[in-house]
Amino acid sequence: MTMHCTMDDLLALQAGEASVWARRHVEDCAACRAELDGLYQRVAQLKALPALRPPRDRWSIVRDAARVERVHRRRTWGAWGLAAAAAVAGVLLVPWFGQNGALHAELSQAKQQSATLEDQLGRYDVHGRVLSGRTAARVAELEDRIAVIDGDLARKGGAKAQARDADLIELWQQRVDLMRQLVNVRVTRARYVGL
Amino acid sequence: MTVALAVPDVLVARAQAGDEAALEALFRAFETPVYNLARRMLRNAEDAEDVLQETFLEVVKSIRHYRGEGYLWGWIRRIAATKALMRIRRDHVRATEPLGEEPGKTGMHVGANIDLERAFEQLTDTSRAVVWLHDVEGYTHEEIGELMGKSVSFSKSQLARAHARLRRELGGSEGAHA
Repeated sequence: MTMHCTMDDLLALQAGEASVWARRHVEDCAACRAELDGLYQRVAQLKALPALRPPRDRWSIVRDAARVERVHRRRTWGAWGLAAAAAVAGVLLVPWFGQNGALHAELSQAKQQSATLEDQLGRYDVHGRVLSGRTAARVAELEDRIAVIDGDLARKGGAKAQARDADLIELWQQRVDLMRQLVNVRVTRARYVGL
Repeated sequence: MTVALAVPDVLVARAQAGDEAALEALFRAFETPVYNLARRMLRNAEDAEDVLQETFLEVVKSIRHYRGEGYLWGWIRRIAATKALMRIRRDHVRATEPLGEEPGKTGMHVGANIDLERAFEQLTDTSRAVVWLHDVEGYTHEEIGELMGKSVSFSKSQLARAHARLRRELGGSEGAHA
């Protein structure tokens, strides 16, 4: 009885992983060569099947979810900033309110500026505008840098008072500077979607 | 089907920054290949639509973490294939149909002239998924086994059984090759 290639053998031949026996057999056996050709044709026909298109547009659902995701991210980010601010304020205001008035005023001013910019950004309609690729990358970079500063502020809140103050002012000033850049990028370099 | 894979980096960067127009552009670029993949793997068109939606919800949520390893279509396709396979597993559990069993369409005679598309539809969900992922999308048996939580030999045997069945239903002679 003549042995022929099984489907496993044919698939292995197609993948270039067949046994020596299968490779030799398919050279000599016309029936198995025809089967192998049939396999190649089926795969080619599968690849050539027409693309099936979605019957309904699901973009609006995805878009709404994207908006929720965006708001969630901003809230998380804002919560970090608020937590950092609360930690810093709690530590600074209690022990030596009158001892270093100038330092305190400088710190308060930086925090106030940051809050104002945060508020300005919060009122800005993110979804009604488009960004160029470069601008979008710049926005992402600025947001990441602000998030890093917020993390630093939260950590510095627990440090010793003397070592803490100068660092805190510097961090808050850096935050204000980055927030200004972010507002500038968001408000002046983005443009409304002209659809 | 061949997918136009080239997506400008700048578009990805904008999508990563949450730009809605860029996210929509990605959705428009990939909605058909994602739906087609899901529809070929799943029996039900509505399930495929759900997979399309779930895939892009995941894309929106995770694209910030996409670092450009591999091409974007590969990343999105993997999400879509995983979602479709999850649905197949869920449906198998509900129907208590073991993986790899022939579909419950006994008595349906498939003539010699049936076209490939109809014959393909007759395969089990699992077989169809393996055939599509391997033969059309170019996944290896190792990758399919990993996606399905099965072994490499499972993927290979599913493919062999599926092709034997396709061959029979497309009118090939019954013989030692089946």
